[in-house]
Amino acid sequence: MTATNTRERVAAALEGLTFELVDTRDGMLTLRVPSATVRTVLERLHGRAGFEQNTLVTAVDRFPEEPRFDVIWQFLSYDHNDRVRVETRISGANPSVPTCTDLWSGASFSERECFDMFGIRFDGHPDLRRLLMPQGYTHFPLRKDFPHGGIEPDRLYREWDAKRRAEWGANA
Amino acid sequence: MGSLKPADSEGLGFLATRVDELINWGRKNSLWPMPLGLSCCGIELMAMIGPKFDLARFGAEAARFSPRQCDLLVVAGTLTWKMAEAVRVIYDQMPDPKWVIAMGVCSSSGGMYDSYAVVQGVDSILPVDVYVPGCPPRPDAVIDAIIKLQKKIERESPVRRLLKGPGVIDETGTGRNFKQPNFAFDHSSLDLHPHDPKAKIEELQK
Repeated sequence: MTATNTRERVAAALEGLTFELVDTRDGMLTLRVPSATVRTVLERLHGRAGFEQNTLVTAVDRFPEEPRFDVIWQFLSYDHNDRVRVETRISGANPSVPTCTDLWSGASFSERECFDMFGIRFDGHPDLRRLLMPQGYTHFPLRKDFPHGGIEPDRLYREWDAKRRAEWGANA
Repeated sequence: MGSLKPADSEGLGFLATRVDELINWGRKNSLWPMPLGLSCCGIELMAMIGPKFDLARFGAEAARFSPRQCDLLVVAGTLTWKMAEAVRVIYDQMPDPKWVIAMGVCSSSGGMYDSYAVVQGVDSILPVDVYVPGCPPRPDAVIDAIIKLQKKIERESPVRRLLKGPGVIDETGTGRNFKQPNFAFDHSSLDLHPHDPKAKIEELQK
């Protein structure tokens, strides 16, 4: 299958929706879609275009531009042996996009990681907890305005330690 | 050790020494390391305990994976803040007397991980006896650290410590002596790291 066929298949699947084809250096078919219709685009790619596997959900912080975040999905089709990338731009204030875990359940951890690192909420995700950073941490490390050395990385440890010592004092 | 008196005519020998020295001699020659391999340093640690470098020559080959049976904590590798609680619990579970070796630059000072996720030196959560530089240090370097630790143990006064009774819970390990660039984002004289976005943010806010 050639890239032309991928493009035709995707264009047929997304009939009636607005999208923009972006030239990328790696040559992967890349669609830029408005954030309002991204959920419909993902459903069509899953159902009509036959992309069975989600390989990536991530984001790019364009700080200080506004809208601030590029959210990026990449999909793979086994039958057609091709890939597609979907990008959408969302606002930096309370950023959120619809989840795709009901379509590709494997996207769950990717979405959790993206939430953990960028603070982008995936609406409808069944279990949107932090994946890498400790639970209770309130900042998002991969945002561009996050300082290099972190914001109070020791806060949770110190809270835990103080609580533990208070318990020792009570038991002593 | 004290002087060895010659055996008397009936063959009964005796040894004159001080209690402190006897205890220290026993302790320093039977260190039981807790191998806490957190990253690549753990591989060198295994090599050190193995037959080629043979830590048994220094009496410290009995590595146990239960902190209850150990008295030497070897923090070998990068300690993250998420792991720090577990390491502190392991340290607390080790029976007294206990010693700590910070193996490698990561556990000594954070090393190349000048990062929000990494503890910048385990001495901000544990009292460290010997620091070993290297990334990772060769097994020889860690054996040298163990010899240094043995010399340190020789100078301790276990009897005085015993008579003093149980100590109070000190502030060691509360993270109070924690030093990390940029850690206080809003007001810090240390946040002049080349990758720090603060300068750019201030420039944009003007």
